[in-house]
Amino acid sequence: MSLVLSCLIPLYIVAIVLYAVRVLKGPTVSDRVLAVDALGFDLAAFLTILSVLFRAPIMVTTALVLALWIYALDIYVAKYLESKEMGD
Amino acid sequence: MIEMIWETVCSVAGLILVAIGAFCDIAAAIGINRFPNFFVRLHAATVGAIGGAVVPAFGAGLIALGSPELGNYRFFVAGVSFTTGLMIMILGQAGAHALARATLKAKAAPLEPCVHNALRRREEVRGE
Amino acid sequence: MIDLIAALLMAVAAVTSIVFTYLAVVEKNLIQAVVFSAVQSTMYALIYFLLMAPDIVLVYLPVGVGIYPAIILLLIKKTDKVDE
Repeated sequence: MSLVLSCLIPLYIVAIVLYAVRVLKGPTVSDRVLAVDALGFDLAAFLTILSVLFRAPIMVTTALVLALWIYALDIYVAKYLESKEMGD
Repeated sequence: MIEMIWETVCSVAGLILVAIGAFCDIAAAIGINRFPNFFVRLHAATVGAIGGAVVPAFGAGLIALGSPELGNYRFFVAGVSFTTGLMIMILGQAGAHALARATLKAKAAPLEPCVHNALRRREEVRGE
Repeated sequence: MIDLIAALLMAVAAVTSIVFTYLAVVEKNLIQAVVFSAVQSTMYALIYFLLMAPDIVLVYLPVGVGIYPAIILLLIKKTDKVDE
């Protein structure tokens, strides 16, 4: 079981690097925030897998915190864009 | 005997879910790099949030339920993993929708390779 | 095997955080600089996780991803968007 999980880890690393490339070259702010959003949610799922793989049960709590705060960043930028549209 | 069968079933199901999540993750990462437009990239981000984050979180919870070497902590790991999956299932869609609505209202992203835009047609009909 | 995976992940996260720190310093548009800074905080959180310090992660994530971009965005809303 541990061997199969270890073989699946590099796929997640490649996906995270590709999301980081989109954050790096996205033309508008919305593209970058969307890529950060997807990167954060995937990283939250990745942290649960890592805490199962490392046999460290306490460390799984960080995934929940990461998912909740990435959503907060999304809402901040959306609120900024809408307030700019209202002329305020 | 029953416990052994239960643990094996949980481990194999969790591993299959994690493998599906890895595939969806790679597909969503390639799509978010290749699509031409912000509103098209939202589709790839949806694949990355549901197939790439919710499914592996549930899979990790199932693996933790099926691994007896974690002791009594396996229920803790499984509960937090399922809660994380449910939170991503609710919050990812809400955040992406808020971002897309704000971007469309503020015209912050170009609509250039546009195949079909239902909102524009409704506005035109309303304007006439 | 597990040590190798941890070292590989730490190397990837460290290189990515260096690139995003440089971009956040040289970027002229301040909102995009805030997004780069959030990515850098996420990568540092991953490094702290791999160093087996979950308490630091629990403090660093709300500060780096939540509170800091909120305050900076509130500040940018009151001033200019582009740095001269």
